[in-house]
Amino acid sequence: MFLLDDILLWPITNVVDVLHSLAVQEMYDTESIQSDIKENQLLYEIGERDEAEYERERARLESELDAAERARERLSDKVVVQR
Amino acid sequence: MSSHLYAYGVIEAEDLELDIEGVEGESPVQTVTFRTLSAVVTPIDDVDVERTDENTRAHDEVLREVMMEGDGRTVVPMQFGMAFKSARTLKSVMRGGRRAFRKALMDVDGKVELGVKVVGSEDGALTREDVAADISERLVAVSDQEAENDLYSERLLFNRSYLLDRDAQEAFGEAVSELEDDYPDATVQYTGPWAPYNFVDVEIEAQ
Repeated sequence: MFLLDDILLWPITNVVDVLHSLAVQEMYDTESIQSDIKENQLLYEIGERDEAEYERERARLESELDAAERARERLSDKVVVQR
Repeated sequence: MSSHLYAYGVIEAEDLELDIEGVEGESPVQTVTFRTLSAVVTPIDDVDVERTDENTRAHDEVLREVMMEGDGRTVVPMQFGMAFKSARTLKSVMRGGRRAFRKALMDVDGKVELGVKVVGSEDGALTREDVAADISERLVAVSDQEAENDLYSERLLFNRSYLLDRDAQEAFGEAVSELEDDYPDATVQYTGPWAPYNFVDVEIEAQ
């Protein structure tokens, strides 16, 4: 049916695509991990985190960033919005 | 020794040699001159330079030394990671960018950059709205230009850079000390002098 095809289904597929890409961005948000890395550095520099805590947090965030970057690369091909 | 060159920034033409270590621990720091401009360089093996903490620190420190050594000199900094296959490719980039470099050298003549960050306490008693206008007003009064930087943490209430005359650093430092006294619940982080990264706009195309 013309109405269903063109007006109802169209937006639905688009919404699904958009939701998917938003989810990918959320899960693998490299920018927010980079901000956390900078925050960790800042709190260490002003003496609020000791060296051991800073190093531990840094190692954790860097491996998280690494994983997020790899996941993004893998998924980026699949998140192309088809129109 | 490799003939590749890592470039830090551009100064007025000068034969300079500094015995300090640069990116990847390479030395000496030297200059490559094209007409009225000199690029500050060290040799480097690989043109893809890894962005490690040591390397970014070395990049900043070479620029600071060039800026402060002797009577001091004006530097137009390049972003981290600019490496060139040879002195010839570097010179051709300097030729292409000579107007932008000359203008930037004029814009930041005799100036240094200082950074001020203000970090709020964990309980969040102070907000950005509470502090930004007052702090900015005080620091703008003792500097020439201000640039806003990313507030990458909830705790970061203020993060700006200032351009000022090399000789005006003492007055600026006093203004920062007053901030520390007037905002006892916050931590003020004062950094520099840096090369004026936030106040020059020279784009260099990758080779």
